[in-house]
Amino acid sequence: MNDSIPQAGPETVGNVRVPEPVFSCTDVNVHYGDKHAIKNVNIDIARQEVLAMIGPSGCGKSTFLRCLNRMNDTIPSARVTGRIALDGNDIHDKRQDVVQLRARVGMVFQKPNPFPKSIYENVAYGPRIHGLAADRAELDDIVGSSLRRAGLWDEVKDRLNQPGTSLSGGQQQRLCIARTIAVNPEVILMDEPCSALDPIATAKIEDLIDELRESYAICIVTHSMQQAARVSQRTAYFHLGDLVEVGETNKIFTNPRAKLTEDYITGRFG
Amino acid sequence: MSNTSNGASAYQPPPADVTRAKVSAGLARRYRAEARFRALGLSATLLGILFVIFLFGSVIWRGYSIFGQHQVRLDVFFDPEVIDPSGTHSREALLAADYQALVRAALKSRFTEVEGRRQVRDLTALVSTGAAADVQDAVLADPSLIGQRRSMWVLTSSNVDWLLKGKVARSAPENERRISDEQLGWLDALIKDGRIEQRFNWTFFRHGDSRDPELAGVGGALAGSLLTLFVTLLLSFPVGVAAAIYLEEFARQNRITDLIEVNINNLAAVPSIVFGLLGLSMFIGFFGMPRSAPLVGGVVLTLLTLPTIIIASRAALKAVPPSIREAALGMGASRVQTVAHHVLPLAMPGMLTGAIIGMARALGESAPLLMIGMVAFIVDIPQGLTDPSTVLPVQVFLWSDSPERAFVERTSGAIIVLLLFLILMNATAVVLRNRFEKRW
Amino acid sequence: MNPSLVILLLLALVVVAFQVGKARSIEIVGGARGVRDLHSLPGHYGLLTAMWCGLPALAVFCIWMLAQDAIITHFALSSIPSAVAHLSPAERSLLLNDLHNIVNGRIDPATVAESTRIAAASYQSLRETAHLALAVLIAVIALLGLLYVRRRIRADLRARNSYEQVVEWALFACSGIAVLTTIGIVLSIVFEAVRFFQLIPITDFLFGLHWSPQMAIRADQVGSSGAFGAVPLFTGTLLISAIAMVVAAPIGLLSAIYLAEYADRRARSVIKPLLEVLAGVPTVVYGFFAALTVGPILRSVGETIGLNVASESALAAGLIMGVMIIPFVSSLADDMITAVPQSLRDGAYALGATRSETIKQVVLRAALPGIVGGLLLAVSRAIGETMIVVMAAGLAANLTANPFEAVTTVTVQIVTLLVGDQEFDSPKTLAAFALGLVLFLVTLVLNVIALYVVRKYREQYE
Repeated sequence: MNDSIPQAGPETVGNVRVPEPVFSCTDVNVHYGDKHAIKNVNIDIARQEVLAMIGPSGCGKSTFLRCLNRMNDTIPSARVTGRIALDGNDIHDKRQDVVQLRARVGMVFQKPNPFPKSIYENVAYGPRIHGLAADRAELDDIVGSSLRRAGLWDEVKDRLNQPGTSLSGGQQQRLCIARTIAVNPEVILMDEPCSALDPIATAKIEDLIDELRESYAICIVTHSMQQAARVSQRTAYFHLGDLVEVGETNKIFTNPRAKLTEDYITGRFG
Repeated sequence: MSNTSNGASAYQPPPADVTRAKVSAGLARRYRAEARFRALGLSATLLGILFVIFLFGSVIWRGYSIFGQHQVRLDVFFDPEVIDPSGTHSREALLAADYQALVRAALKSRFTEVEGRRQVRDLTALVSTGAAADVQDAVLADPSLIGQRRSMWVLTSSNVDWLLKGKVARSAPENERRISDEQLGWLDALIKDGRIEQRFNWTFFRHGDSRDPELAGVGGALAGSLLTLFVTLLLSFPVGVAAAIYLEEFARQNRITDLIEVNINNLAAVPSIVFGLLGLSMFIGFFGMPRSAPLVGGVVLTLLTLPTIIIASRAALKAVPPSIREAALGMGASRVQTVAHHVLPLAMPGMLTGAIIGMARALGESAPLLMIGMVAFIVDIPQGLTDPSTVLPVQVFLWSDSPERAFVERTSGAIIVLLLFLILMNATAVVLRNRFEKRW
Repeated sequence: MNPSLVILLLLALVVVAFQVGKARSIEIVGGARGVRDLHSLPGHYGLLTAMWCGLPALAVFCIWMLAQDAIITHFALSSIPSAVAHLSPAERSLLLNDLHNIVNGRIDPATVAESTRIAAASYQSLRETAHLALAVLIAVIALLGLLYVRRRIRADLRARNSYEQVVEWALFACSGIAVLTTIGIVLSIVFEAVRFFQLIPITDFLFGLHWSPQMAIRADQVGSSGAFGAVPLFTGTLLISAIAMVVAAPIGLLSAIYLAEYADRRARSVIKPLLEVLAGVPTVVYGFFAALTVGPILRSVGETIGLNVASESALAAGLIMGVMIIPFVSSLADDMITAVPQSLRDGAYALGATRSETIKQVVLRAALPGIVGGLLLAVSRAIGETMIVVMAAGLAANLTANPFEAVTTVTVQIVTLLVGDQEFDSPKTLAAFALGLVLFLVTLVLNVIALYVVRKYREQYE
């Protein structure tokens, strides 16, 4: 596995390309030190759709997700090769600024990670650093509308000055989503956003994802096939760093074409 | 924020390209701030390193010359008339003789032109007052020398040493040089004879304190430090390890344990001088222990280092995985057996590392020792735990206060010796840790 | 029979006891084959016997040694009643000093008064008798202990449990020393301080603006009130500590941030130990450096720009104290910063924050309580630091906020008052303990708050 030459994995089953993609990835490889974590992945992400990434743990789905806004930059041993184009421009291009990239491609993490600040400041943080609001009134508007769209407004409108950490787990995660929306991104990446939440909170987040699809491309990593089936239009199945199959969600779950996908979906492993 | 609730519902996010433009607009400014902050961090770090270099550089620059000392070769005639006119060779007679006269005679035999009390005094001032003692030691060691002529290396006076080391320019005015032009002439004659040499300064390591800079050494302070540390190690290591074992392996979580823990953490942060007050009023005032003794110093430093050693030992015990305890307990070993046979050997390197670091701290400590009187002028090298003595850092303190300029060199020299010991101890600790550190 | 011989004798008895106990346990079960019938290993019976033999005797030995000197001195003095009857306390303590010096062979008996010599002789003979009696007593107690356990040894005696119980108690006693130390500190300081406050009203001490303890000695009969106003000492201490923190807090904090967030692993592994060297340098070295190098430099720099800098200025002492505290602040801040979970950093990066924005607005914000706690500990260190100020700050008790002037501190005055010859009961000596009490209380409060804050902070991210 420590071969630096990308090994040609099995050809991905299904149609990886879409018309007018927001992201278009070609031959993406990721190495963590000696570990070859992602092998020759090709996939497009369409606008106004939810793409779910599923697969057994350690299959590389989260790693791939973190490539899309270059979060892997923060890990010194990670090395990403291949072309990842956002609106046709390579995100690894020298002219591409990582700050701007991340402003366009927001991310929600597995564990809710509100900043140790008030609820208001949590949401206002992104607009503040990027200078998105001309004045306090506009900032208030952005914060208010973000919280509303994240479905959190009614629960927190009277306590915007309380610390973000005082909220429940599900609320915290919606706060993190509101925080991401506030920057007005084009794509939202979600890394198992519900894995730390109870079923009721999970249901709220899933409803939210469905609404957000209107405005953003959403790419969600999940370990729950049911969740993938509920929220996504397309599904990609990863296995040991290979992208095995991509297709419309209902087709993947009812009629998988690759053997590995079928084994996973029918519960032979996972 | 009140206006968030009204009218905000009308707010629609701007198109993506508007947002993008806004973000781009701020980028340059933000990256400048980033570079500034990074430079600030780097310069703070460099400043810290600069301090290290400056501190060590200044000490070494002032003190390295202490390791050599100029000596002069004298042809001493062990005149029986002066040493032992009665010819008995009795020890009393040998002790009472005027050896300074022999030194004076030896110098005068080289400079026959010197006459008058003032000139003779100036001439003998080139040589250390310790020279007479050296001559005496030679006679006492071998009385058969009496009546013979021997060539001996003796110390020059500190002013001569200072000049020859180039610490003061030859061209400097007499009063600054503290060597008269006449003396300089004699000195040059001696140099021309090849009678003056710079030799390794054993005096500095062998002697105790002295009023004469050239005779003052760190020998006494070094012995005092070793004796004090011996007491400290003997008391603090077993007690510290035992306390750590109790707290980590046996203690139940209750208020007494909490009290002990809070106490240990607080003691670790109590100013060291407070321990000195404790030593003065408790050990010396109440228990009547002797002042200036390594024994008391050791006990005070024990109390001072105990928290450090306990905290380090507990960390070492914590690093032993619970699975090892469970394995031993599962075999039917008692808790004492588990700790003694399995946990303690595994934690020992970490505990020793902690102990060495604690000892290094104790070696550099001086404030509490001032309180218990280990700050005296002590010429004799202490031989036992109750002999009056001082320690290295306190010797540094004493000398640094001395107006004699030659003591600056001694002070720096003593600091170099102290730092060498500390480096040695810390290096040992690092080696120990790297060698035995296990990761589970 | 001197005391160390008594201890050796006891050690020998303990070794014997161990063998006796071990042998007895084997004998009782009929030889080595029967050992499995014993409740514990034969060695445990040996240890139990050795403990019964040694511990009570050791306790008696310690009590004896503590009491011996006072009792013997009493009897020795009663051998010269006429000479001690009219002595003042000071003369009496002088006499006792001579007595002890003669007995321990430190001074020549010929140099003291006839009566003292008699007392010394009496002391010596009493001491010899006492040591002999002690040896006999110890031997008897040790043997009694040995015989007692030997009789009790049976196959079902739970020797290991009893022995381990004692071990546990011994370990507990060792950890209790920390509490005893604190009690010792409090008692020793408070007693002397209370005596001081009986001489000088506490309000004069805490609020008085004039400090001049040397005067008080000379002008004893005039009354020393007013000369023990500690306010200049407090302000001096605060001034120097403030200068130190102004140096140490930013440099320590920024270098910790740089090392934790920017430097790569190689640079970190070189620079960090290099900075930690500063923490290992004895404070007396800093004092020397401040007094001999930094002081003169500041003075000459001050002269060139027309400032009058005292050669023992608060600035020199404060600067160097700051340098001393840098690694302390730095390593505490480093702990706190690395304790901030990576997920928070990721959250900020994912929003497009730059590294410095993440550090300043998220990481430092999260680490703030811990860092504040660390800074409080650093302040407590600065206040309690002694050698640097003793060597570099001087003795002038000026009430000033000007860093270029000389000031003095609480610790400097404690040292000055207590080093050298001293009478134990003069207000001058006692004042040092009053200052010590203030120092102890202030640092204690700072430490307790700081440790509490830091602990709460750590728990939050555990």
